[in-house]
Amino acid sequence: MTKMDFLERYAQENEPYVCASCGNCTLVCPVFRSLKWESYGPRGKLHIMKSIIEGDGEFGQDFANKIFLCTLCEHCTSVCTTGISLDRFWEVTRAEARQRGLLPRPAQFVLDSLESRGDIMWMGSADRLLWMEGIEEIVTDRILKHADVAYFLGCNVSLKSQLHDVARSMIKIMEYAGVDYTLLGEKEVCCGAPLGWAGKLEGINEMAERNLELIRSLGVKTVVFSCPSCIQTWSEYKRHLKEENDLELLTASQFISRLIREGRLKFEEQPMVTVTYHDPCISARVLKATEEPREVIEDIPGVYNVEMMPSRKSTRCCGAHGLLDVVDPVLSSRIAEMRLRDATVTPATRIITECPRCILAFDLAKFTTGYDITVQDITQIVAESLLPKKEEDKKSAEG
Amino acid sequence: MRKVDEQHIGDIVGADNVSITHETCMIYSKDVTSLPDIAYQIVSPKFDVVTQPVDVPSLQNLVGYAIDNNIPIVPRGNGTSGWGGSIPTRGGICIGLSGMSRVLYFNEFEQAVTVESGITWRNLLEFLERLGYTLPVYPSSATAATVGGFVASGGLGIGSTRHGDILKQVLGIEAVLPNGKVVRLGRVLLDPKTDDIKDEASKANKWLEMELEAAGLGTPEKETKLLTGTYGTLGIITKVTLKTIPNLQLVPFASSFDSMKDLVNAAARMVNDTQPYFLRFLADNYTSKLRAIAGNKLEHGKYVLMGALLDTIYNNEDNIAAIQTITEEEDGIRLDDKRAWFYWNERLYPLRIKRYGPSLVPAEMLAPLDKLPEILEKTKVELRNSNVAIEGTMSNDNSSSFMVWILDDERRSFSFTVGWQRSFRIAALAQRFGGLPYAVGLWNGRHAREYYGDRVFNNLKIMKKRLDPRNLMNPVKVFGGRVTAGRASKSLGFVAGFAIAFLMGLIGPELIGWTWLAQIMSSNLVQFLPVPVLIWVALLGGLLGFSIVYFMTINQALSVGIPVLRFLSKLMRR
Repeated sequence: MTKMDFLERYAQENEPYVCASCGNCTLVCPVFRSLKWESYGPRGKLHIMKSIIEGDGEFGQDFANKIFLCTLCEHCTSVCTTGISLDRFWEVTRAEARQRGLLPRPAQFVLDSLESRGDIMWMGSADRLLWMEGIEEIVTDRILKHADVAYFLGCNVSLKSQLHDVARSMIKIMEYAGVDYTLLGEKEVCCGAPLGWAGKLEGINEMAERNLELIRSLGVKTVVFSCPSCIQTWSEYKRHLKEENDLELLTASQFISRLIREGRLKFEEQPMVTVTYHDPCISARVLKATEEPREVIEDIPGVYNVEMMPSRKSTRCCGAHGLLDVVDPVLSSRIAEMRLRDATVTPATRIITECPRCILAFDLAKFTTGYDITVQDITQIVAESLLPKKEEDKKSAEG
Repeated sequence: MRKVDEQHIGDIVGADNVSITHETCMIYSKDVTSLPDIAYQIVSPKFDVVTQPVDVPSLQNLVGYAIDNNIPIVPRGNGTSGWGGSIPTRGGICIGLSGMSRVLYFNEFEQAVTVESGITWRNLLEFLERLGYTLPVYPSSATAATVGGFVASGGLGIGSTRHGDILKQVLGIEAVLPNGKVVRLGRVLLDPKTDDIKDEASKANKWLEMELEAAGLGTPEKETKLLTGTYGTLGIITKVTLKTIPNLQLVPFASSFDSMKDLVNAAARMVNDTQPYFLRFLADNYTSKLRAIAGNKLEHGKYVLMGALLDTIYNNEDNIAAIQTITEEEDGIRLDDKRAWFYWNERLYPLRIKRYGPSLVPAEMLAPLDKLPEILEKTKVELRNSNVAIEGTMSNDNSSSFMVWILDDERRSFSFTVGWQRSFRIAALAQRFGGLPYAVGLWNGRHAREYYGDRVFNNLKIMKKRLDPRNLMNPVKVFGGRVTAGRASKSLGFVAGFAIAFLMGLIGPELIGWTWLAQIMSSNLVQFLPVPVLIWVALLGGLLGFSIVYFMTINQALSVGIPVLRFLSKLMRR
């Protein structure tokens, strides 16, 4: 019989038995919705886990592969009748798969990359400065400067060229609002989230600490993120952040919303733009940041938000979270296509979101479906709608 | 039974819609109830193949293939019931219907909606609510249960306090019969332009009309009962036309009481005076377990009556005042709106209680409302050594369903197995007070006659014989039938038969003074085979024991098994 003592080690031994088999998790699971078989859905996987515990199955490569066919989107956790923290359960099961040498090769590649390069795509610290091209004179002085606010880009925004504009937009917003901010530049390393997704839970704290040490040394009070998963990771694995370090972690929209309330951002009228806001899974279900982005959109004159169905905490995953995009890119893309379809039935001409993975996933889905819709981060629409400074001065003078 | 041919089935339903992997077959063989291992000594542990047809023609062909090859077929929604209606009894083909999930027709003037049977109640509700309508009744498992599943099993749900059980809400049903014909009972409303199988269905209806006439029954329009509440034993439901109601103002309310008697008095008056849409009670042993209300003095460990009005603003104003008065007159306390909404939102999650198990042994019964306090009191006494939580739903006919959740741990395999008899014990107790099993499914086939009533059950049996003479469509459910004896029970049958025959052969002749028989027993029948006759007799006894188990029906197995478990339970307690 396969030894399953890891469940006790992580205090998860009751969970397969606590499952009420109600099926709520299965019906919302993006992988199940795409593959249609329960053995790929959460309820089915728990049944398989139970049968392994009872000696009627093996924790082999086949099961390990199934465990990695999951976006860790927290949807199953949020609807679980008996309150099983399913995402935590899948993460510890991934950790066990790694211990048994059953890690899928793409996940192993991510781990190797994190360990040797500090990022998820085998690049390097010098590449983390590429996004600054064209705005070096503004940001160079900001790197490792003592400041109240730190902007943490995350691997995707720093290293993927199609997301560089997200970072540039955030800089434009901060400069516009006169925020005293700092950047970690080439010293920034991965937040640690992909380590958990690839089953190396014990490495997360160390990775997070490398960034946090730096942030603390700069006297930072608020960290602003372009990626919700980074916040989730630091909040979960560093619960004492707020208490011990008085450190506040904010999503881009939470930060922008604050700047708007403080009257530090002014917008110019947009020519009737209809957008639809896609809630990233982690923002909506874990960070509960569903209202701030809508408030921000509402504050831009001429921009109208129409709701996608479903939205807010029932939002559907884009398919690119939890390493699914590297383990099974085809499945990931199919899930993104399903979500893109939710947007296409609205009158919106733009999808706004605030997660770099969602942007990448929708970009790919646009390509595979041939559907033409603009996908933007919330920082991008905010940055391009800002009232030019001179006009603002003029308006203030008139006021 | 011929071996299942995956490729052939793939040709019928599409290769992507069939699976014979061990894992898939195991998963689709379960419902919400965790069965003790001993249950698999009377039902097969898993299907041989799982299929997910996506349209009626492929389903018809699949049924035809199964019948031609003598393979049992079991329809399945999302496996959210606990009555064994969708689990395998003799292996065979599982027909998953959740892929057929479209809304086909809605007409606000006729106040009716027609859907494919695999749609979930939640999706249907969302569709209707966008149009200003809702359903008169839907199950408490609406988040995942399918329309076909609930209609096939029957029962009370949200809305039953005003509108009765789900079967009264069904206007029409389309189903595939065991011979592959697709028929329509009652009034199935569809748009003629998109109704592709209209001609085929009306031809099949003419044939069915003759069959019904020969069996002494009415026309197909009048006999929806054949397919509602019969667990797909007479046909696989493919489309359902349901009543809809306007989604008027919803006002949840909740009151807490110190005793069940006060709660029942209040509930009876509320049903009569205010006609609430829904009324549910949570007993003290239920509310004392919910972590979400821990520390709340008005609710924790109290008897809570929650419900909702669904009516015009004017009627609701009057009725909510009446509810306030009734609550006060029956010594209860009305909870504020926030708490009322909490309980309303929780109506779809009765299984939350499983967190405190981690396993559950359920027992659900229908009982007269006035007997409820007495039944619950007796239940508490009967299960004083168990950890239980009780809740229930009021119907509009002065009856209620009550669910006894017995919390247990299936990892303690022996005590969990022995403890299963408690479920049947509660059923027997409720029956003494005029109660009935809540549902029939697989496990309550013994009570099918009382449940359906003599006339209806006889009609069902006649039609089962005519339509499915080889009992291949969801076999053993409702009508009973031969079990799939497991290796352990067959061995036990043999050993028990052998031991009994051996002892009787050894002591029997001496006891009755037949010494000549004792001599025969100890002699060798055949000279060159030095085995005494006694051993041959014992072997014969063993064979008889084996055959009895092999040919046993489920009802016989339960009639023997439950007292044995009860005896073991008493032994354990001592």
